[in-house]
Amino acid sequence: MIRLARAWLFLAVAAALAAGCGGKKRPPAVATAPPPSSAPSGRSQPTEVPPPVETGPDVRAVDTEAARGEDFTVSNPETGEGGPLEDIRFEYDSANLTDHARSILEKHALWLQNHRPAKVLVEGHCDERGTVEYNLALGEKRARAARDYLASLGVSTDRLRTVSYGKERPLDAASNEAAWAANRRDHFAVSR
Amino acid sequence: MIQEGVQRFAIPDCGPRKGDEASREVCRAVTQVLRADLQFENLFKFVPQSLMSAIPPMDPENPNFADWKGIGASVLVITRAQVTGGEATVEVRVHFVDTGQSMLAKRYSGPADNPRVFAHQASDDVMTLTQYRGVARTKIAFVSDRDRVPGRATKEIYIMDYDGYNPRRVTVNRSLNILPNWSPDGRSLAYVSYRRGNPDVFVASIYEGRSADLTGDKGGAAFAPAISPDGKRIAYASSRAGNMDIWVANIDGSSPRRLTSTGALDTAPTWSPTGQEIAFTSGRSGSPQIYVMDTEGLNVRRLTNVGSWNDAPAWNPSKQFGEIAYTARLENRTFDIAVVDIATRQVRQLTQGRGSCEYPSWAPSGRHLTFACGRGGKWQIAVADRLGQTITMLPAGPGKNEQPDWGP
Repeated sequence: MIRLARAWLFLAVAAALAAGCGGKKRPPAVATAPPPSSAPSGRSQPTEVPPPVETGPDVRAVDTEAARGEDFTVSNPETGEGGPLEDIRFEYDSANLTDHARSILEKHALWLQNHRPAKVLVEGHCDERGTVEYNLALGEKRARAARDYLASLGVSTDRLRTVSYGKERPLDAASNEAAWAANRRDHFAVSR
Repeated sequence: MIQEGVQRFAIPDCGPRKGDEASREVCRAVTQVLRADLQFENLFKFVPQSLMSAIPPMDPENPNFADWKGIGASVLVITRAQVTGGEATVEVRVHFVDTGQSMLAKRYSGPADNPRVFAHQASDDVMTLTQYRGVARTKIAFVSDRDRVPGRATKEIYIMDYDGYNPRRVTVNRSLNILPNWSPDGRSLAYVSYRRGNPDVFVASIYEGRSADLTGDKGGAAFAPAISPDGKRIAYASSRAGNMDIWVANIDGSSPRRLTSTGALDTAPTWSPTGQEIAFTSGRSGSPQIYVMDTEGLNVRRLTNVGSWNDAPAWNPSKQFGEIAYTARLENRTFDIAVVDIATRQVRQLTQGRGSCEYPSWAPSGRHLTFACGRGGKWQIAVADRLGQTITMLPAGPGKNEQPDWGP
């Protein structure tokens, strides 16, 4: 039933969008009959009759369904600030937990023991150096490193999820060592 | 047949058939864009405008070819246009100057509000006189945060003309949408969306406004989609089996198969022009390097052996050029675009001193490529010939613009 309702909503939104775009939709330029040959000499070739250009609608927006999975409301995804659990940081191009990161995670494990049934989304983030793809993989590894350590400290894996944002959501958009250090992090978004 | 590098084009100003401002405006745009399109093809020489302005006004129906021969032109492109009631009609004629022979004569009509489209079509028609497919009507998909939702750091997928004009938004889900990849027929885009909270691969039929989830709800991340040259299969990186590996599935997401299974991070698959091999990035040697394997995951071999970080390969889709563009980290620790010749392993570096450059993607003809350059929050999209002799930053509009994918 919910799925049906969503389908109707989707159709309604799509129809509204289509109606909104209707006035702007234009057929592409179409080649019509060729002009008369203008070659002055006797060597003129017959001008070709061009095929009609493929007609089709302009691109319409896809994905009218609103984003889901945004129910971890404690943190501000723009800045990564807020939330009871401090970020942990990583060395350049590394997903290894530093001693300092481990000590922070130990506090997080304690906090989670005292705050059942709060759940945590571990977000792995990277600095801007390296490709989009590589950093998505690295961010995933960073998130899993923290998840696995929390699990080893007794936190149920049912309460832990991971996601990698790679370098797509930096804490600091600047391009220097301090920004990079701040961006190489796991952020812990808590939902209760 | 027009031979490359030999012909010297004269493209004089378009002649409006009527004196009204609308006709003159269409004429100006057609001349300017057609010149830019044909210059971008990087196959011809051009008579400079200063020489063309010395030619006395000509009768477009009956040009005096001797005049044009006198200034060194070998191909004359005559354009005319008029606008009637919002409808533009544009004529393009191409002559060999030596003989006066008419090589091409076409008339285009359509709405007058985007005259660039006439020039793009005319340029591609001129290119049918060569052995190459024209680039002027191709599109580039890209990622931008220009419509970001405050406080949510969203990115959406857009498409634009190859020259950076006419950007149009494709996704509207106000989540993070990245890594677009065109289907070979130009009607669909694979991309990665976080709309479910996790990176998953979707395929959007951009002309129907539909999208399908290929990898969702199976755990782990899935990203870096690459549609095969025949459009029937899709490769991507996924961690659903625990480690980040290369997977291949049918284009509808069915029958996913894992092709790599080392403990290292394997990402960024790209198909060979035949669809029989896949290049990808792997950290199995300790640093990211580019490897090639067949589509069964067998016959894996390392391709790059220069430099400590070689990543995100893009296989030139033309069988004429056996080469792969990729992102390389150089001595000064910035990232730049490089191309490796598969047979000789020779590397040529395309970019330098533009911040970092990454995400190369080839035009369908393999004669040009696009990539993004920048640092911090400022990234813009560039296009270049395959040797990197001319690199042009596109007027891609507001926001951080990145991850270009050059489509049909």
